[in-house]
Amino acid sequence: MLVMKDLSKVYRTHLIETHALRGFDINVREGEFVAVTGPSGSGKTTFLNIAGLLEEFTGGTYELDGVNVAGLDDRARSKLRNEKLGFIFQGFNLIPDLNLFDNVDVPLRYRGLPSAERRRRIEDALSRVGLSSRMKHYPAELSGGQQQRVAIARALAGDPRVLLADEPTGNLDSQMARGVMELLEDINAQGTTIIMVTHDPELAARAQRNVHIVDGQITDLLQEPVLKAAEHAAERAAVAAQG
Amino acid sequence: MFRYYLSLGLRSLRRNPILTGLMVLTLSVGIAASMSTLTVLHVMSGDPIPHKSDRLFVPQFNYGELRGYDPNEDLDQQVAYTEARNLLDSGFGVRRVAVYGMNGALRTQDPDFQAIVGNGLAASRDFFAMFEVPFLHGGVWSEADEQNAADVVVLSRKMAERLFGKTDAVGERVRMGENFYKVVGVLDDWHPLPKYYRLINGNGGAFYGEEEYIEPFATAVRHEEGNSGSNNCTGKGPDPGWQGWLDSDCTWIQFWFETESASDRQALTEYLGAYIDEQKQLGRFERPSRIAVSNVMEWMQLLNVVGDDSRISTWLAFGFLLVCLVNTIGLLLAKFTARAGEIGVRRALGASRGEIFAQYLIEAAVIGLVGGVVGLLLAFGGLALIAKQSNAMSMVASMDWEMLLLTIVLAVVASIFAGLLPTWRACQVLPAMQLKSQ
Repeated sequence: MLVMKDLSKVYRTHLIETHALRGFDINVREGEFVAVTGPSGSGKTTFLNIAGLLEEFTGGTYELDGVNVAGLDDRARSKLRNEKLGFIFQGFNLIPDLNLFDNVDVPLRYRGLPSAERRRRIEDALSRVGLSSRMKHYPAELSGGQQQRVAIARALAGDPRVLLADEPTGNLDSQMARGVMELLEDINAQGTTIIMVTHDPELAARAQRNVHIVDGQITDLLQEPVLKAAEHAAERAAVAAQG
Repeated sequence: MFRYYLSLGLRSLRRNPILTGLMVLTLSVGIAASMSTLTVLHVMSGDPIPHKSDRLFVPQFNYGELRGYDPNEDLDQQVAYTEARNLLDSGFGVRRVAVYGMNGALRTQDPDFQAIVGNGLAASRDFFAMFEVPFLHGGVWSEADEQNAADVVVLSRKMAERLFGKTDAVGERVRMGENFYKVVGVLDDWHPLPKYYRLINGNGGAFYGEEEYIEPFATAVRHEEGNSGSNNCTGKGPDPGWQGWLDSDCTWIQFWFETESASDRQALTEYLGAYIDEQKQLGRFERPSRIAVSNVMEWMQLLNVVGDDSRISTWLAFGFLLVCLVNTIGLLLAKFTARAGEIGVRRALGASRGEIFAQYLIEAAVIGLVGGVVGLLLAFGGLALIAKQSNAMSMVASMDWEMLLLTIVLAVVASIFAGLLPTWRACQVLPAMQLKSQ
């Protein structure tokens, strides 16, 4: 689903070069829930930005759902991002002067879906996160946990293949964080691949695979548990689909 | 997506209302200043009779003695009575008109009636057809009246009301001096701007005033009614008496030709050349034969109907608009920079740079639209102030539909222009940077 080989990212100024990622290899399979951990400045967010096509990489290769993203122009990258990826941010990043319905509508607008289809998807997504009764509310009228659920609904409405979450519970208290984490697990159980950057070892432990980044490189790839977890996830998805 | 971007643009007006208000105000003041001066210039320099202005011609001749002749000297702008008479009789073109201004004291047959001093015009019969003068009642005097220099008159609507208390004064008698004129027609409102048919010392100038009564050219000449405008004599001047004045080369009559088409201009020039040659053989026109023929727009330009001050004012106002636009650019930059986070989110959710560019440019256009509407209201205020300057200005300081539409279009185009840099900057936002910093 998401394959990076020998990926590198170098930030250059006229004075210094900073290697944010180097020799970075990862293969995230369909249906996986991967937690990415590492100290501050290790390259977690850079990895997530590159995975989300929000930043260019300097070297190596990156394939997203079979598409080699190197050399794609802005329009093609934007289309790929819109169709394949969903984002959840630590700061929620809802647009304050749009109500919940219109916030969730944003990625669907860029998809060019007809009005009725958009409405159906928005209502489904908000219903899935338990906020269908608040469609006309504005973000400022919601708690942090509710705002993050709206952000999740926005990511889900586009039916993405991969959900990229950057510290999704970082701004939430423990009870709200638990609720959001359960929601992510439920989404993963439905078959959506999730890559989550987190500082929280407890949350990371709930993922099927942990990827630890230090100095721009993966240092500890727990390969075996991953494969098993992926199999479990696939089974759970199949059961859910039958049920 | 256009409708989506438009709705976002309208919503965004409510965001940062102070900044939005400042932008709208800045833009509208610039638009109002430029459009009010441009409106005045537009009316002043507009074509008063667009469907035939290219086939109405004023002839100019080189009157005067050979002594002291300067080849660079301007040609006379009016003609002498001899030319007026000869050219009226010439039969050249579709119509010919001789016209000069008069002032008269008008009374009714009531001996107790207080005289009303009016601005009048002596014009040959074709005047009404050539310049498409509308009648409310009656019509132009007959061919026979023209030939016989009959005492007939056409009144303006206002003059008819002032004299007789009604507009339908046809058949009434008007007394001027010791003569009684029969009213044959009453004009409807007629205010061509500029008053191109008689720009030289027209009653009230090129823009203000109206012809309150019009009598046949031949009648005015028969009653020895002098010209109330410019009389230009060179050399020895006229012999004594009215006949001496008529026989002189003094120029005091405005003459017009109407031709079948604009291409008849060359034929007219050649005809006039032949006429001058003929007159030279009679001992007139001592100076070298120079002839000019100007159509309506050329004539207005020659007489500098639109003064340089009007043009300079308009340029200054557009300079002011430019300053306002520079300020709007700064304000838009501030507004769009404050929304870098939203831009980052939209980019992450699938918006390409092109889509961000379209969205924010439409948002700038929406600000321009609102600025245009407010600017239009301010422009009406500005025109009202300009109109108070003088009677002439009151005639030209009014906005037509064309200028009204142009105001809105200018505001939108100007705001899009002002929005280019801020929008381009908005497209350069790095989403990764913004998303983390939110």
